[in-house]
Amino acid sequence: MITISHLSKTYHNPDGSHLTVLKDVNCEIQPGEVISIIGPSGTGKSTLLRALNLLDPPTGGSIFLNGENILEKGYPVHKMRQKVGMVFQSFNLFDHMTVLENVMYAPCKIRKISLEQAREEAMALLRKVGLADKAEVYPANLSGGQKQRVAIARCLAMKPEVILFDEPTSALDPTMVGEVLSVIRQLAKEGMTMLIVTHEMKFAYDVSTRIFFMNEGVIYEDGTPQQVFEAPVHSATKAFVQRIRKEVFEVEGTDFDFLDMETRIRQFCIKYNIPEVSAKAMRLCELAMPSFRAVNKPLTVRITYSELSEESAMDFMLEGLSDSPLPDAGLTPAAQEEIKGLCREIVEEPTARGFRVKYRFS
Amino acid sequence: MQFGRKTLSLETQAIIMKYKLKYLLGLLPALALLSCSGQAGKTLEIQNEADLSGLRVVTLAGSSYDVELSKREDITLLLYNNSSDCLQALITDKADVMANDEIVFNSAIRNENGVKIAFLGDHSFPTAFMFRKDEAELADTCTAVQRRMIEDGSMQRLKDYWLSDQYAETTTFTHITYETEGAPIRVAAAASTAPIAFRSGDDWYGIEIDLLRELGKELRRPLDIKYYDAASSILALKSGLADVACGCFFVTPEREEEFLFAEPYHDYHPAYFVVDKDVRKQKEGVIAWLKHSIRKNLLTEKRWKYITDGLLETLKISILSILLGSLLGILLYAMTRSRRSWIRSVASAYNAFLSGIPELVLLLILFYVVFAKSGLPSDIVAVIAFAMFFASGACDIYKTSLDAIPGGQTEAGLALGFTRSQTFFNIVFPQALRRGLPLYKGQCISTLKGTSIVGYIAIQDLTRAGDLIRSRTFDAILPLLLVTVFYFLLVWLIGLLLKLASPKKKVL
Repeated sequence: MITISHLSKTYHNPDGSHLTVLKDVNCEIQPGEVISIIGPSGTGKSTLLRALNLLDPPTGGSIFLNGENILEKGYPVHKMRQKVGMVFQSFNLFDHMTVLENVMYAPCKIRKISLEQAREEAMALLRKVGLADKAEVYPANLSGGQKQRVAIARCLAMKPEVILFDEPTSALDPTMVGEVLSVIRQLAKEGMTMLIVTHEMKFAYDVSTRIFFMNEGVIYEDGTPQQVFEAPVHSATKAFVQRIRKEVFEVEGTDFDFLDMETRIRQFCIKYNIPEVSAKAMRLCELAMPSFRAVNKPLTVRITYSELSEESAMDFMLEGLSDSPLPDAGLTPAAQEEIKGLCREIVEEPTARGFRVKYRFS
Repeated sequence: MQFGRKTLSLETQAIIMKYKLKYLLGLLPALALLSCSGQAGKTLEIQNEADLSGLRVVTLAGSSYDVELSKREDITLLLYNNSSDCLQALITDKADVMANDEIVFNSAIRNENGVKIAFLGDHSFPTAFMFRKDEAELADTCTAVQRRMIEDGSMQRLKDYWLSDQYAETTTFTHITYETEGAPIRVAAAASTAPIAFRSGDDWYGIEIDLLRELGKELRRPLDIKYYDAASSILALKSGLADVACGCFFVTPEREEEFLFAEPYHDYHPAYFVVDKDVRKQKEGVIAWLKHSIRKNLLTEKRWKYITDGLLETLKISILSILLGSLLGILLYAMTRSRRSWIRSVASAYNAFLSGIPELVLLLILFYVVFAKSGLPSDIVAVIAFAMFFASGACDIYKTSLDAIPGGQTEAGLALGFTRSQTFFNIVFPQALRRGLPLYKGQCISTLKGTSIVGYIAIQDLTRAGDLIRSRTFDAILPLLLVTVFYFLLVWLIGLLLKLASPKKKVL
C-alpha cells in the first residue's frame, strides 16, 4: 500500500546550519496494519508522519502510495491527502464551526456530497466516537478528549485509506487518554490501516500489529510488539522499551527544598497515573530520610516507574559507602514495620559509586 | 445554526442607534437656547486703536490686520481662518473686539448678530489681485482692464453695487457671460466672503469675481475658481496650482517680495466691531428659531445643495480610499511576509513613516509638492493620501487577524485534502474575518472622519459645505449640527455595509 525508500529530511536554517531529522527511512506498509512508531524524543517520529502526507515534504527518497510516486512533480497532493487522513496532537478543530460542521465540512466541500447525506454520515461517525449529543456544540466547550474524538470523526468523514496519528494523546490530561485510545482500538479492530506515533507503551503493545522503533533518524527496529518489547535485537531498543521513568533529587546540605521535592513527586505520580504511589513515597521519605541523611554522605533519591511492567520504586543512594547503612540507621521497630508495610520488597545493593537501598512498592 | 444570538444583537444595535439619534436631536433645542441667550453688561466703549490696549482682539489669520495688530504687545490677538469663525468668537465672548472689513459685515448681518462698528481704523489697505512672478503678462493685462473700467465708469458701477448694502437685499445674482476659447484662468479664492468673492448656488459672485470675469472676457479665457483658505491659496499660487489669488489680498511689502500684484482696485477700511449690548435680541421659540435657521441656511440660494454635494464628495473620497487602501494593504501585508529582508524593510519603513506623519501634512505635501505639476485633480490626490494611510492601518489589521489563527488550522485543512487556496478561503479567512472586522470597521470610520480635512486642498466635502454656508449666513449652529448629523449617518451607513459583509454564523 505504502512503500517508503531512502526517505530523508534535512532542515536548512537561515543561518546556514542544517539539521538532518530523517536519514534513511525504508519500510513497506500493508493494508490493515496498525503500526505504532515509538522512540526517544527528537528522532524523527512525527517528521516521518508529516513527511508521509507532505505537510513537511521530504528532501530525498521516494514514497509510493498504491503504486504512484507521490513525490513526483505535478502529483495532486490534495487528492493524496484525501486518502491519507491525519489526527494531530493539538486537535486543530475548526473553532468557528460546530462539532457537526467540523465533521461535515470537508465531505461537503471536497467529496461534494449533499448536505443531507453529509449530515447523516457525520452523525453516524459522532455516534461512533460517542459524541452525537455534542453535535451543535462549539469546540471551545469540549474537553481535550472530546476534541480529539471529534478530530478522529472529522478525519474518518473523508473515508481515508490510512490514518496517521501524531501523538494523539500527548496534549491530554491523563484522565482523558483512555477515551481517545479506546476509539483508536475500535478502529484497529475494524481493520483500519493506521500509523500511530505514541508514548503510550502499553497501548502500543496491545493494539499494534507492528512496531517501528525509531532512533537517530532511521527505523532502528521493526517487528511485532512481542519481538520489539520482549526480545529487542538492538541494545538501544532494549534501553528504550524497558526505559524506566524517573525523577531524581540530589539531597545536599541543610537547606534542601523538601517542599519542592514533595511537589515533584506528586506531579510525577500524576503524570504516570500512579496516584496510590504518591502517598507511599511521601511517607517513606518521612520515615527513612532522616536516617540516611545522618550518615553524612552525598545522598541521591530517585522515584522510578516502568511503563511496561507498571512497577514503581524509590531508592536512596549514598555515595562512597560500601556497606548497608540500614543496621546503624537507628530506625525504631515501629518505623521498620511501617516501611515493610509500604513495600513489596527492599533491595540492598552496592553500586559503582556507593551503596543503594531500593524500596519496591507493591 | 444559532440564530438567537444574532437577532438579539441586531435588536440591541437598533435600540442603541435609536437612543443615539435621540440624544443627537436633543442637542438641537439645547444649542438653540444657547444661541438665544444674550450677554449681560454694557456695550464696550472704544473710539480708536489706542483704546484696544488690554483687550482681546479677534481677526483673520494671515490678514493685514493680523500683520498690523501682532506688532502691538498690549493686546491679546486671536486668529481664526474665516470671518464666520471670527464673528462667532466675538458673539460668544471669546473676544472683546473683532477687526475685519467694514464691507464684509453689512448692516443686515450686524443687526442679526447684535454687533456694531465701534470705529473705523486709521489706515486703509490697498487691495489687489495677486499673481505669480512669472505671470507678469497676466498681471499687466489685469491692470489694463481695471484702468479701462475706471475710465468708462464701469468700475464705479461695480463698487456702487457691491460695496454698498445694495447686494444684500437680493439672493439671486447675475454675471457677465462671454465666448471662451483658451485654457481657463485658475483662480484660488482665499475665502468665500460676500461681497468680495463668494459662492451662491453653483457659481461664484462678488466684486473681485466680476473683475476677474472682465479679465477673462478680455483674454477670452474661462475662469476655474477653487475655494482654498488664506494660507492654502498662497500655497496653491506658489506651487502653480492656481494662476491668480483673490479674496481681499492687501498689498504688503512681504507679499510683494514673493508675488506680483496688479494695480490695487480699492482701498478697504478696517473696522473694529463690538457686541452691541443695547440691541437685545428678542427671544424666539425653538420652533421659530429652527424655521428661520432652516430657511436661512438651507433654502435660500439652494444652500442645501452644498450639503448634499459635500456628502457625496465625502462618501466618494472615503469609499475609494477604503477600497484602494484595502488592496494596497494586501500588497503591504504580502511584503511584510516576504522572504527577502529588503522587501520587509521597505514595508516596515513605509508603515513607520506613515504612522509618524499627520494626515493633513501628507495631504498638503502630496497636493502642493508631489503632484503639484501633474495636473491630477485634487479629489484623486485626496484618495491617494487617505488610501496610503488606510493601507498602513489595513496591513496591521490583516497581520493581527491572520497571525492570530494558529498554523494548525491550515495544517488541518490541508490534511483533510483542501488545496492551499481552498484552505485559506474556507478555513483561515472566515476566522480571521471575525477577528479583523471590528478593527477594520474602526479604520473605515476614522478614515471617513479623517477626510474632513480635504477642504485644505480645495475639495468641497461635507465639512467644507458647512463652512460655505456659514460664510454666507454667519450662523454657526445649524450648519455644524447638520454636518454632525450627516457624519453620524455616514458612520452608521459604513457600519451597516460592513455588517452585511460580515460572515454568517452558519458555515454550511
